[in-house]
Amino acid sequence: MALEGPIAVFADLLQFVGAFVAFSIAYVSLRGLRETESPTLLRLATAFVFLAFGFVVQGLVGLGTEAIIPGIAAFATTMLISGLLLETTGYFFLAFSHVMDVAMSKKMGLALMVFPIVTVSGVQVSDILRFLSFYFIMYGVVETLYSYGKTHRPDTLIIAAGMVLIALGGLVEWLSILESTLIALPLVQILMKEIGLLILFIPVLKFTFGRKEIWDGAI
Amino acid sequence: MAQYRTQVKIIADVLCTARDMNTEGNGVGITMLLRKGNLSYSRMSKLVFELVGSGLLEEMRAEKVARYKISPKGIEFLFAYNHFEEFTQSFGLRL
Repeated sequence: MALEGPIAVFADLLQFVGAFVAFSIAYVSLRGLRETESPTLLRLATAFVFLAFGFVVQGLVGLGTEAIIPGIAAFATTMLISGLLLETTGYFFLAFSHVMDVAMSKKMGLALMVFPIVTVSGVQVSDILRFLSFYFIMYGVVETLYSYGKTHRPDTLIIAAGMVLIALGGLVEWLSILESTLIALPLVQILMKEIGLLILFIPVLKFTFGRKEIWDGAI
Repeated sequence: MAQYRTQVKIIADVLCTARDMNTEGNGVGITMLLRKGNLSYSRMSKLVFELVGSGLLEEMRAEKVARYKISPKGIEFLFAYNHFEEFTQSFGLRL
């Protein structure tokens, strides 16, 4: 069951919060790319630019469906699929960053990228995209946890927790489709996803303030 | 299992050596860079040539022997490297 009324508008506005977080991470990554020319930061920036545009499109579709933005409702399905496609591409690049890291460090985690065989006949495109997003984000979780196992950096564990919340949000979304009587599930899903994304914002905050402190110290 | 270093990490290692080993202010030789950088001579020569070309290292010639020291631009690069390394490590990635 889809959300309706003010709760739906709130959920749509949360998509824009997600877009802001994703754009912030992309901005820091692009700054890093300019200063260090690191391909890792290029992949990270690409991932979060796609995610940000995906959230913006989904937010616009939601507001259009609620008749807050006129003229969107007619193209809602196409736009929603475009938004989901952008989001899935973003998660793909996030997973791809880990694949490249795995390939560079010669560890054996690459096997995780072997794609599971699923029957997709009769399944809607949006469901396939949601499944792919879930798969890519779970791959990111596994690799981030593996990285935490090596570095024991608390930041890495926090980011993994954020990604787990985003993935669980996807699971709750499926559950809400199957169990349409529980009207709170779509809101729980969007809240989990947004809290997960806000957790991903922590490195941006640390980066911004950490860099300022060092510059202040240098002056 | 041994880990490959990324190109950015190799550059940061070379710049760190040029900064930390230049205790007398007359730069460091290619031998010192080779010893600390763990690269072959041909690869290190090519890398040093590129780093001098991009302004991250400064070449000092004394009695036909080339010595290298880190440039202000190289120090800025190391500063940025340390910050963005922390940022990417938060995502479980390497710069």
